[in-house]
Order: sequence, then structure tokens, then C-alpha cells
Amino acid sequence: MKKAANNKIQSIVRACRIILAMIEADSNTRQSQKMYYRMLLQYYTRLRDARENGQFIAAHTVFFPAEILLAMDIIPMHTETTTWMTSLFTGECGEILAAGARLGMATEICAPHRGMAGAFASGALPRPDVMVWSNMVCDNTAKSGELVMDICGCPGFFIDRPFKDSGLEKTYMAGEIRDMIAFLEDKSGKKMDYDRLSTIVERMDRQIELTRQVNELRKNVPTPFSPLGFLELLTIDYLFPGQPESIEYLETLKAELEEMVKQKKGAIPKERFRLMTLFIPPMYLMSFLEKLSVESGAVSVIEPFFTFWGEGRLDASRPVEAVVEKAYMIPETRMYGPLGESALEAIKKCAREWKVDGAVYYADVGCRHSCATIKLFKDALAEVDVPVLTIDCDVVDQTVTSEEEVRDKMERFFELLEDR
Amino acid sequence: MYDHQNKHNSQPRYTPLKTLEVFKAVNRSFPHTDEINHIHDQGGKVFGWLCTYVPEEILHAAGILPVRITGYDRETDLDDGNAYLYMNNCSFSRSCLQMGLTKEYAFLDGVVGGSTCDGARRLFDLWRQYIGTPFHHVLTVPRKYTENAHSLYLAEVEMFKTHLEDHLEIKITDEELMGSIELYNQTRSLLRELYNHRKKPNPPISGSEVMEVLDACFRMPKESFNHHLKKLLQELDGSQNAYSGRARLMLSGSVLANPDFISSIEQQGGLVVADELCTSTRYWGDMVEVQPGEPPLKALARRYLNNYPCARMFPSEERFRRIIETAREFKVDGVISEIIRYCVPYSHDLPLLTKRLADINIPVLSIDLEYGSSGSGQIATRVQAFLEMIEAKK
Repeated sequence: MKKAANNKIQSIVRACRIILAMIEADSNTRQSQKMYYRMLLQYYTRLRDARENGQFIAAHTVFFPAEILLAMDIIPMHTETTTWMTSLFTGECGEILAAGARLGMATEICAPHRGMAGAFASGALPRPDVMVWSNMVCDNTAKSGELVMDICGCPGFFIDRPFKDSGLEKTYMAGEIRDMIAFLEDKSGKKMDYDRLSTIVERMDRQIELTRQVNELRKNVPTPFSPLGFLELLTIDYLFPGQPESIEYLETLKAELEEMVKQKKGAIPKERFRLMTLFIPPMYLMSFLEKLSVESGAVSVIEPFFTFWGEGRLDASRPVEAVVEKAYMIPETRMYGPLGESALEAIKKCAREWKVDGAVYYADVGCRHSCATIKLFKDALAEVDVPVLTIDCDVVDQTVTSEEEVRDKMERFFELLEDR
Repeated sequence: MYDHQNKHNSQPRYTPLKTLEVFKAVNRSFPHTDEINHIHDQGGKVFGWLCTYVPEEILHAAGILPVRITGYDRETDLDDGNAYLYMNNCSFSRSCLQMGLTKEYAFLDGVVGGSTCDGARRLFDLWRQYIGTPFHHVLTVPRKYTENAHSLYLAEVEMFKTHLEDHLEIKITDEELMGSIELYNQTRSLLRELYNHRKKPNPPISGSEVMEVLDACFRMPKESFNHHLKKLLQELDGSQNAYSGRARLMLSGSVLANPDFISSIEQQGGLVVADELCTSTRYWGDMVEVQPGEPPLKALARRYLNNYPCARMFPSEERFRRIIETAREFKVDGVISEIIRYCVPYSHDLPLLTKRLADINIPVLSIDLEYGSSGSGQIATRVQAFLEMIEAKK
């Protein structure tokens, strides 16, 4: 089989086009949601055409500071998100997971990373010019880059993000970023434009602020944002950090939500259960989960580890340091960093302030690092009287759970909440 | 039982090693060994450490007995560990936590870990939350060997020392550190001597016996360990024991502490002569070398970051290079990669490591197992097939 024939980017582009055509014609669809799909289409079209356009492609892992790539006019390829998108839009993840297994990737490794390696090996993702990655989340992200370099025969750079957030550690990470910029300049022949980086950082600061404002609006009862809308917030940060499109999207979304609040309208017809989402739901069950949410009146109002940003601002006058600052402010660091009192307090604060009835932990069986927090978070939430439903699943691998199983568990959980 | 040199004789030439019994007795009684009990009775302190990136010498220089937290080196139920860390977390962490939750480490006055891998970090998070040992410290351990990484790690080691001094209300002097470095270097030299015996065509000690020695090394005061290891080496020098097997094997991969697992390989005829584990060469492999006029802490930090690397370090090629070097030094015919359930770093390295070893004609057998497992029928079958494959190649 020819590698090019496996290219999943084209499948994602096609799927985005179809969805966009459907929602553009629907007057009930949020304007911001239309913008979101246009952004996805733009991201994957640009990636699909990059080689043809002679552009330099950098594959990178999740939470890698893509701001650097964008400031250097390098085309980023977010590897984990692209693997998720393959699952979400094409339902063809089995093929790339099998390709990962053929490389010798054990099931100890999470599905997005097995899929990612398999996708490069089978030609489902285009060969990057460089691989850049970090240990920002877990051992999988830290370890994934070298295999991609080997498969694709490309050079790479690993950013070592220290575990804690002392001044020394941040200085070390800033040094790492500077070394990576030198690496990228050498490999791409492009110079870092620090003014452009400052602009991106300034916009990123605005993006974080807007996300906080959107979350504030979600505190309203009924909540104005769609049940799984938070995934849009997550994706724009992954794919468009500090880009004008993100600001436009967030400003539009904020205005829409403000209007709904003014009209006392909720995102779903009858809000019954306000949920906290503790991990990313399975991508291939998105449509089903949306439908189930509407049917049951259950809506995610806050995600402490995905949309609830830490305090602080980004200083655009020191853009490299600001990129480091962001690496310690992203909501996920609360889950993946040292799990001290502040992380546990944050989750309780979210439960109280967003008036949460129950929490759903999508226990991605491939994510060892997050699942080990379930007991801690359950105990913390029990202190504020919030029950937690744990659903064993996998963010991309469809063989782990089914719609029926999830429906059964969710319905029983909603009954429990109803009884309370 | 595996073959000895004179396997065709009716009476195999094998004399049990007397000193080994001392180590086995420590392992059998751990964590309630006589020495630990004695130290506690005398008002001394015992700290647990969790990863080979924790500079044990600092604890020793503070007058503490450092013992390694190793979980159960046997198969057992991990119900609490599973409930607290979830089933899909690394089985070593679950095993350690299980022991902690069932109060088997209640005697510890402190625990020290490194930010080395997800399993260790989460174990530490839960330990702090649910077990409540009086002193906790996690060192940030960079993943690189650059100059900046060394500066950061040195600062971390200094902070750890200060934290310990503040907690114990003592000062750890350079002289005390130098004394501890000397003692620990002696342990390393003695272990190297032990491993030199394994390089022989017919080693006088088996792989599982060496594991008993290593386990005891983490559980005894180094002073008495060194004393007994010297005696063991004297015994080996005069020993007529001579193990042989169908193939010389090296163990590589995740943390391993159960001698029975190695025994199960040796029972199939594999001669385990080398290992690349954090309970073996990655623990003792490199000496601490203090340059003239250099602060001992700096030498310690350099050694611990540059040591025979764990799979967490970048670039992985450094680990692969050391593995190949070890494989050649011990003339191994094959490598058994043992990866404990849900250990991510070693799983990631396996495809590339297999490739690198294939390039020098060394085949790899990959085995997944629960930490503490003593081997199973399925593992025995796979080891047999692996040995047959190696024999066919010879």
C-alpha cells in the first residue's frame, strides 16, 4: 500500500468541510462554533498543503509552545490532536493503532502516542522536517519524539520542562527554549522574529483572559455554553495559541454567551445537572455524548484541568520567559504537576463556584498519570459533597468502551444525582 | 535447576555460599530487620528513598539509615494500591503504595523521591497525602546532561541537603559527606568485583543469587553490607562453583527485585550474567569522583545525573550505548527486556533498543510482567523458545 494513500489529513479536511457545510446552513448553530470549524479546516488545509507550498513543518507534542513555531513562520503539526481528530472525524484510528503495534509499541503506551507513531510509520501523517517535543505532560510525551525522529528520519529537539516551578527551574526552561530556537533557525533557515513572538504572547495573554471571562459566564444558571463546548476552548489553545483567529472566536463566543445570560437562556433546553469534567471524553463518542447531555439535561460547566487557567499574566516584553510562564499556568499542570494542596483546593473551589452537582472522570485507561489522581480528586470532591462518576474509556481506542456502557453508567449516575 | 559445568556428573559441583545466607536473611525479614529495629531502638532515623537519582550519601552523612522503598519482591494482592493508584498505574508504584498503606513502612522517618517518572511522582503524591511520613522531599531531576541541567540538579541537591538539615536541626559537613562518598564508593567497587565474577565463562554465582545481594544492599547499613560482601567475594575466589547455561543472557528494563524471576529464567537453562536495571548496574555502575578542591556535593550531583541512565533520560542513545557496552563486556548472547506492567519509559525505548541490539546481532526477548512476579509458565515457554533460537544461531 502506498504511504500517501493513507494520508489522514485529507480525511480530516474532508470531514471538516462536510460538517462546516451542514452547520453553515443551520441558523441555530452558534456563530463561534462555525468559526471553530473554519479554524480546524484552515489548520488542516494548511498542513495538507504545506509540503506542496514548500513550507517547513514541525511536528510537536501536546502543550509544546507552538507560539515559537508560529513566530518563526513554521507550520506546526500537533501530533496528539491530529490523532484525536482522526478518531473524531474519520473513525479510522484502528488502522494507525495497528501500525503502532507493528512497530513494537506496547499497550503500556497510551493510544494517542501509539497512534501517533503508527500514523507516521504508515504515512497517515506527513513526514515533518523536524520533531520538537517536551515532557510537559507525561512520560509518553517525553519519550515519543525519538521514535518519530527514527521513523521519519528527521532531526529533533526535546524541551526539558522541570517538574516544579521555582525561579531556577523557569530559568532552566527558558534556556531550553532559546536552545530550541537556535536549533529551529539552523534547520529551517528561518530567523526568530521576536517582535512577532511578543505580539503572539500579548494575544495569548488576551486569549487566557477571554477564556477566564467565558468561564465566568458559565457560572450562570442555566449555563449558556454547550455541554461539551469546552473542547473548543481546549483545541484553539492547542492549535491556535495567540493567533488572531482565537481572539476573534473567543470574543464572538463571549458575546454570544453574554446575550444568552441576558435572556436567561441555557445551552440545553432543561438544565438538570451541572457537571465538572475531569478528563477528555472519548473522541469517537462525541456526538453520542452531546445527544445524551441534551436528553438528560446534563452539562459540563467547568473543567479544572482543561479550561480553568491558573492565576497570572504573560509579559509580552519578555516573550521567551512568558512562554515559560504559560507552561506553568496551563490548567493541565494542576493535574500533571506536583499534586499539592493548591491543586486539591482548586478543584474544590471550582465545585463550589460553578455550583457543580456531580463530576465525571473519563478515566482514559491509557493515561496512567491522570488515572492515579482519581482517588485524590474523589476524596477532595467528597469534602464539598460532589459525587464522582468514573468511566473507564480511551480517548481514541474504540475497543475499550461502548455507547451502551457509557449510557448505562451515565443514566445511573444521573439517577443518583436526582435522588440527592 | 540449570546446568553446571560438570552437568554430566551424577553429583553436580555446587557448594552453597555461606555469606549469601546473611543477605537472604535480611531480605526475608525486611522491612523488620534486626539492624533497622536496632537503629530505631537507639533513637536513630531511617529514611526511605524511591529512585536511583536520590543521592543516598547525603542521607548517610546526616546519620540516617537510607533504605530503598522496593514494594513487595514477591507476588501479592495489591488491592489498596490498585484502589488508590488505579489499576493502570505502574505495578512497582502500586506495590510500594500497598506496603505503605498497610503500614509496613510505618517505621520510616522520611521519604525522598525524584521527579523521575510518572509512576514515581504519583506514588509520591499519594504517599504524602495518605501515609503521612514526617519528612518528604522530591528532587527535580532534569532529563538532560547539559551544563544547565547539571547546574539545576546541583541546586536541587543543595536544596535537599538544606531541607534535611533544617528538618533534623543539624549541619552536614563536607567531611561527613566525603566519608559517606568513600563508603558508598567502596560498595560500588565491591559490587564491580562481584560482577567481574559474572564475566567468567562459568561464573561461580548465579543471576538470582546476585539479586539477593543487591536487594540486601538497599536494606542494610552500607558498613555491614560491605563487610559481608567482602566475605562473599573471598568465598567466591575460592569457590569451585561454575554455572553454565544454554546462552549468556542480560536482563534489561524496569525495576526488578524478585530473585525468583531470575531463577525462573535460569531454570530454563539461561545463564543470567549481566543486567541493566535500576536495582543493579544503574544503581552502582558509576563511582563518585571528587576532583581536588571540589565541593563533595558538586561531585555527587554530577555522578547522579551522569550515572548509567534510566529510560527517562534524553537522549536515549546514551542508555543504548551503555547497554551495548555492557552486553559486549559480559559477552551476552541475548537480552531479556523485562517491562513491568504500565511502565511507560521502558516501553517507549523498546522498539529502538531492539533495533540497536539487532544491529550487533543480539536478539531481544520482551517480557511484560507484574512487579514482584516470579515468572509463569508462559514466561518459561517464551524463554525456552528464545534460548532455542539463540542456540540455533550459534
